[in-house]
Amino acid sequence: MRIQFRIYIKVISVSMSLFLFSACKVEPILDPNNPNASAIVINASLSELQNLADGCESGMRDALGFYYDDLNVIGREYYRFSSSDPRLTSDLLGKASAVLDNNTFYITNPYSARYRVVRNANILIDALTSTKAPITEAQRKAGIAYAKTTQAYQLLSVFNLLYNNGVRVDVKDPDKLGPFLNLQQSMDAILALLNEANTDLKNNTADLPFTTTLYSKNAAQFSKFNRALAARVAIYKQDWTTANSALAESFLDLNGDLNTGVYHLFSSAGGDQLNPVFYPRNSSGETRVAHPSFITNAEAGDKRLNKVMIRTAAAFSDGLQSNYDFYLYKTNVDPIPIIRNEELILIYAEVKAQTSVPADAVSAINKIRKAAGLADYSGATDKNSLITEILKQRRYSLFGEGHRWIDLRRYNLLSQLPIDRTGDDVWQQFPIPANE
Amino acid sequence: MRTETKQLFYLLAFLFPLSVFAQVPISGTVVDVNSSPLVGVSVRLRSTNIGTVTDASGRFSFSVPNKTGTLEFTNIGFKTQTVSLKDIAESITVTLQEDIGKLDEVVVTGLASSIKRSNAANAVASVSAKQLTGTTVQPTMDAALYGKFTGSNISANSGAPGGGISIKLRGITSLVANSQPLFIVDGVYYDNSSVVPGLNLISKAAGQGSTAFQDNQSNRIADLDPDDIDRIEILKGASAAAIYGSRAAAGVVLITTKRGKTGKPSIEISTNIGQQWQLKKLGQRQWDEAKVQTAYGNTGVALYRAANGQIYDYEKELYGHKALMKNLRMSVSGGNEQTKYYVGFTNKDDEGIVERTGYKKSSFRINLDQKVTKFIDFSVNANYVSSTADRGFFNNDNTGATLGVAYISTPSWINLFPDANGNYPDNPLASSNFLQTRDLMTNREKVERILLGGNATWKILNIGKHNLRFIARGGLDQYSLNTIAAFPRELQFEKNGNGTNGASINGTTLTKGTNFAGFLVHTFEASSNLSLRTQVGVTAENLDQDIVINSATQLIGTQTNLGQAGAIQVAETKTLQHDKGFVVQEEVNHRDMLLLTLGVRGDKSSRNGDADKLYYYPKGSLAFNIHKLSFWNFSAISLLKLRGAYGQSGNFAPFGAIYSPLVPAVFNGTTGSLITLTRGNSTLKPERQKELEIGFDIGILHDRITLEATYYKKDVEDLILNVAVPTSSGFALAWRNVAAIQNKGIELALNATIIDSKELRWTQTTNFWKNKAKVTRLDVPAFNTGGFGATLGTYRVEQGKSPTQIVGKGLAADKVDPATGLALYGDGEPDFNLSSYHDIIYKNFEFSFLLHWKKGGDNINLTNLLSDLSGTSHDYDSRTLDPTGQKTNAEYRVAALGSSARPFIEDASYFRVREMGLSYRMPKSWFRNIAGVKVGVSARNLINVFKYSSYDPEVSNFGSNAISSSVEVTPFPSSKSVHFNLSVNF
Repeated sequence: MRIQFRIYIKVISVSMSLFLFSACKVEPILDPNNPNASAIVINASLSELQNLADGCESGMRDALGFYYDDLNVIGREYYRFSSSDPRLTSDLLGKASAVLDNNTFYITNPYSARYRVVRNANILIDALTSTKAPITEAQRKAGIAYAKTTQAYQLLSVFNLLYNNGVRVDVKDPDKLGPFLNLQQSMDAILALLNEANTDLKNNTADLPFTTTLYSKNAAQFSKFNRALAARVAIYKQDWTTANSALAESFLDLNGDLNTGVYHLFSSAGGDQLNPVFYPRNSSGETRVAHPSFITNAEAGDKRLNKVMIRTAAAFSDGLQSNYDFYLYKTNVDPIPIIRNEELILIYAEVKAQTSVPADAVSAINKIRKAAGLADYSGATDKNSLITEILKQRRYSLFGEGHRWIDLRRYNLLSQLPIDRTGDDVWQQFPIPANE
Repeated sequence: MRTETKQLFYLLAFLFPLSVFAQVPISGTVVDVNSSPLVGVSVRLRSTNIGTVTDASGRFSFSVPNKTGTLEFTNIGFKTQTVSLKDIAESITVTLQEDIGKLDEVVVTGLASSIKRSNAANAVASVSAKQLTGTTVQPTMDAALYGKFTGSNISANSGAPGGGISIKLRGITSLVANSQPLFIVDGVYYDNSSVVPGLNLISKAAGQGSTAFQDNQSNRIADLDPDDIDRIEILKGASAAAIYGSRAAAGVVLITTKRGKTGKPSIEISTNIGQQWQLKKLGQRQWDEAKVQTAYGNTGVALYRAANGQIYDYEKELYGHKALMKNLRMSVSGGNEQTKYYVGFTNKDDEGIVERTGYKKSSFRINLDQKVTKFIDFSVNANYVSSTADRGFFNNDNTGATLGVAYISTPSWINLFPDANGNYPDNPLASSNFLQTRDLMTNREKVERILLGGNATWKILNIGKHNLRFIARGGLDQYSLNTIAAFPRELQFEKNGNGTNGASINGTTLTKGTNFAGFLVHTFEASSNLSLRTQVGVTAENLDQDIVINSATQLIGTQTNLGQAGAIQVAETKTLQHDKGFVVQEEVNHRDMLLLTLGVRGDKSSRNGDADKLYYYPKGSLAFNIHKLSFWNFSAISLLKLRGAYGQSGNFAPFGAIYSPLVPAVFNGTTGSLITLTRGNSTLKPERQKELEIGFDIGILHDRITLEATYYKKDVEDLILNVAVPTSSGFALAWRNVAAIQNKGIELALNATIIDSKELRWTQTTNFWKNKAKVTRLDVPAFNTGGFGATLGTYRVEQGKSPTQIVGKGLAADKVDPATGLALYGDGEPDFNLSSYHDIIYKNFEFSFLLHWKKGGDNINLTNLLSDLSGTSHDYDSRTLDPTGQKTNAEYRVAALGSSARPFIEDASYFRVREMGLSYRMPKSWFRNIAGVKVGVSARNLINVFKYSSYDPEVSNFGSNAISSSVEVTPFPSSKSVHFNLSVNF
C-alpha cells in the first residue's frame, strides 16, 4: 500500500513537471487597430514622428469654437446665439443669477482638448528622445523644442481661461499630475517653457525632423514663432524688457503684411475640420452676431468694420439683439490666426509706450491706423493715453481673435465692458473643471 | 541513483504502454424495465479500462483477468447498475432502471474528467436532447434553453428570425465587459460574437440619448443545430467553472453532440412543417375627425377626409405574414467495436411574420470515433453550417426609418400601398413608408461556419491499481459572416435630400478560433475504499477576428454594389487574443461517500496588461453522501447528500482596454496621430468572481422523487469601468478596477415520477430559482447607464443597490431622492422563476409540455410613448392608467414625459406554455417491423399570460448588454408557432 502510494506520488510529480515546464510564454499583442502610444515612444519611425506632429497641429483645433466663444462672448465682442443651448447667453454673460459652471462644455471641452495636445506633444518628445530613425542631434533638439513650443501655446490658452485659478503645467506623468500654479507662477512657467525651447531653436540651422504648418520647418525660422508667443506672454507679465527682446527675435515686421503669421488650418476634405467660428451670414438659431458697441464705438471710416456684416433681419435671443453678423471668417475653411504681425506691431507699440519711447509707439500705432484707413494718431502721447489708444486698436485689429477680454483684464479695466441686461456679470475667469 | 532509475522507468512507461491481458470470459444481456434490449450500454470492470458495449440485441461479451471485482453497467438516462463478478455464472441478464433524477448522469468535474451526478459537489445543470428538442421544433439552440434549468435569466432580444438571445447565469457578472457565457462544443471553444451590421448609419439610433448600438443583431451561437445536440451542461458560477479560468466568469455552457453507438445503422428522418404568427396583437387606434385634428392638425384632417373612411389594418399587413416553417432532418448513426459514426443533416427554412424576413439554415455534421490500437482511440467532429437570416429593420431610431418606428408613426387611414405600377406613395405624416421599406430594403446576415474538433486518448499505463491516460484535444472554429444592409435610393428616407441617396452597408467578419489542450489523468485505486484521480494539463486558446464594414452612400440607381457609390466609408475592428494556461486537479473518493476535489488553473493571456503573468483560479469542493454511512438504515430516504464548493474564475476587460492608442486625425491633406481620450491601463486586472455554493440532494422512494437544493453566494470583484479622470492628464477617461457586485440566490430542482405503470408513465421536473444582486463596491460616484436617460427611465449603478435597478425623474408622489432627483421605479431582475416540464407517456402516445412563470423584473417600455407622440397608440383613448380617470392613457403618458418616468416602467412578469407536444408512435407491425413511425403536433409559446402592455415582455433593444437588456423600442414582435411533425426510424 505504501509503495503504491509512493509510485503514485512519483508518477504525478514527473508528469506534473513535464507539463508545467512546457507551459510556454505568452507574447504581448500590440493593438491591432491603432498605433500604440507606448510602442511609438520606444522606436518611432520618421513617418510616425510626422504623424505625431500632424496630430498635435490637428488637435490644436479641437474645441476651438468653444474657446473663442468663451473669450469673445465674455469680452463682449460678439453674442453666440444658440437655439439648442441657452447657457451661451446666460452663463457666459452672467445673466441674472447664472454663474460659470465647473462642469459644463464651455470650460471642460476646450480645457481637455488643450491638455490632449500637451499629452500628444509629450509623446512626441519621448518618441524623439528614443527614436533610432536617421535624424541628427540638432534635428532631435529642434523637434523637441517644437513640441515644447506647442505645449506652451496650449498651456497659454488654458491660462487665458483660468487666469487667477492658475494652470497645471507639470502633466508629464498622468498618474502624478503636478499642482495648479498661481497666476504669476503660471505665466513664468509658460515663458520658461518657451525660452527653454528657444535655446534649441535659435541659431539652429537644421530642419525639424518633420514638416509643420506652423511658420517654418527650419528651426531658426521656427524660433521666430516661439519668440512671438514669448512676446505675448511677456506683455501679459508686464515684463517689457523681455517682451522687447523677444519681439526683436520674432517675425515682427513693422512694414510687413499685417496678416503674416501662424494659423490653424481648416479644410472640407473628408474627416478634416471646418472653421468652427464660421457661420453663414443671416443664420438663425445657431449664429454669432457682433456686439452692437463694436459698430457704435468705431471711428468713422474704419475699414476693420468689414469684420461684421449687416443682417437682413436683426437677430434676437434671450433679451439680446444685434443687426450685424460676426463676419471675420468669410468661408468655412478660412484659417484662424494663432499669432500674426498685426498683433506683434501692437505689442511693439505697447512695449514702447510702457518703456517711455512714445515716438516709436505712435509710429507703430499709425501703421495700424493707416492700414485701417484712418488718419494718424493725434492724441496725447503720455503713457495712459497711448495705452488707451493701443487697446482700442487691439480691439479693432484683433476683433474676434480672443484678445479684448484678456486685454481689459490685464489692465484691470473689465468694468469698461458694456452690460447689456440688468444683472449681467463680467467674469474674471473660468472655474477649474470639476474633474480636476 | 536508484531514484533516478525509477524515474527513468516511469518515463519509459509513458512511451511503451503496458497492459495486462484478460482471461475469464463474461457475457450477458442488458434490458430495460420493459425487457427491451438496450443498445450501447457500457459494461466495464470497475476501476479498469476493461470493458465493452452492448450490441443491437443488448448483448455483450468480453474477458476479465479473474473473477474478482465488480462489473459496472452504465447508459445515459439510466441508473448505473453494478454486479459483483463473484455472483456471475457464465451469462447474466441485467435490467437497467431509468434515471429520473439524473443521479447517474455524468457531469464534468475537470477539463478531462467527469463524475456521476450522485457524487458531484456542484449543482451542475444539464439539458438532454429530449428536453432540448423532444417536445417541439426549436428555431435556434439558445432559444431552446429557457426554463429548462435553474439559475438562468435568458431573454430573446426580439422576434426577428435567426436568434439574438441574452443569457445570464446566476445574476449580473460584469458591468461593461463580457456578460455572456463561454460556449464549448465537444471541446471546441465556440465563438458567440454579436456583430453589429452598421445599421446605425441609417437609424442614427446611437448618438442621441444613448451611445449604444441598437442594430438588433443575432449572436453566433445561433449557428449550432439544436438537433445535433445530445446533452448540454451548464456551469453557472465559478465554483464549477473555475477549471475554465479566465474566460469563465459569466459561466460555461458545455455542449456534447450526438455520437454513433455500436450496432446496425440507425437512420432517422424527420420533417416538420409549421406556421408562426404574432404572439400578441395590440390593435390600432380608432379614429374620428376630432382626434385627427388634435393629433395632426389641418393637414391631417385633409388627409383623413380624402381617405373617405378607408382604413388599413397595418398591424396585419406588417406583422401578419403567413409564415411557413419547414424543417427537414436526417441522421444516420451506428458502428462497431472499432469505429462509430454519426452523420446529421438539417435543412431549415423559416419565414418570419414580417414579409421578406426569415431564417434558412443547412447544417451538416459528422462525428467519428475510432479505436486505433488497444491503447489509442480518437474521435473527430466536423460541422459545416450555412445560414441566412433576413431580419427586417426594427428597434429604436432617430430618423423614422425603421419599420417599427414608421409603423407607430402612421395612422390607419394613410394609404401606403403602391399603385398598379409599383410606385410607393410617400408617407405624408412620417419620414418613411414602411411598406416600401419592407419591400425594398435588405438586412441580411449570411454565415458560413466550419467547426472541427479532435480528441485522442492514449492509455499509457494500466498496471495493478494504476491507470494513466494521456488526452490530447484540439479544435478549430472558423466562420465568415457577411452582413448586408441595402437601402435603395428610392426609399422615402433616402431620396430628395432626406438621406444619403441610398446606402449599401456591407460587412465582412472573419473569425478564427483555435484551442489545444493536453492532459495526463492518473487514477489510483489505493484500496477498495479509496480512489484518487489526478489530472494535470496545459491549454492554449487563440482568437483572431477581423470585422470590416464598408458603408457606401450616394448610390447609382438601384445598385447595391459598393463600386456604384459616390461616397464610401470603411471601418475595421480587429481582435487578437492568445491565452495559455495549465490545470492541476486532485479528486479523492472515499467509498462514494466522501468526495473531495481540489484544483487550480493558471492562465496567461495577451488580453492582460502583462501578457506573461499567471493569474490563478483555485477551486475546492466536498460532497458527503450521508446515505452511504454504514449505519444508515432509513430506507425511505434513498439519497441524502450534503455538498459545498468554492471556486474562482475570471473575465477579461473589453478588448483594447490595455492599450492607449493613437487615433487618426485628418489634417492638412494628411493624417496625424492624436492620443485617444480613453487611457489604456496596462495594470488592469481581470475581473474576478469568487463563488461559494452549498446545497443538499435528497432522494426518497428509491429516488423516485429527488430534490436538489442549492444556495450560492458569488462575489464578482475588480469589476472594470471606464472612469472619468482629470483631463489635464490629456485623457478624459481611464479603465480601472473599481466595483464589485454580490449575487446571492437559491435554486431548487424537484424531479419526480408521478405515475409509473406499465401503460402510463408521468414524469416531471420542476425548477425554482431566484437571484438577488447588489453592488458592494463602487469607487466612483453612482452613475446612470443604459436606456435613454432619466426622463425615460434608466439603470443606475449605486453602492448597496441592485445593479439593474431602474430609476428616473419623478414627482413628489414617486418618492424622489432629493439628492439625485431620481425615483426608484423597478428592477430588471426577476423576483423568481418557476418552470415545470412534464412528460406523459400513455401506450403509444406521448404528451409533454413546459410551463414557465417569470415573476417580476421590469422593462422600460418606450413603444407606447412613441406611439402616443404620433397619436397612434392602440390604447390611446382608454383610461386605465390615470388613477383619477381624467386623462386617457396616452395623455397620461405624454403628460408624465419630462416630469416622471413612472408610466414607462412596466412589470415584465409572464406565464407561458413555452413548449407543448403530442406524438403518437405507430406500432412497428404496421410497417412490417422495418420502420418506427412517429407523428405529432407541437407548439411554441402557444399560451402567454402577461399584463405587459406591448408585444412581449421578453425583449431587448440593446441586445445582450450586461445591464440594460430590458428596454423596448418598437421591436420585431415575438411570435408563436404550431408544427406538425413526422419522423421515421429505420
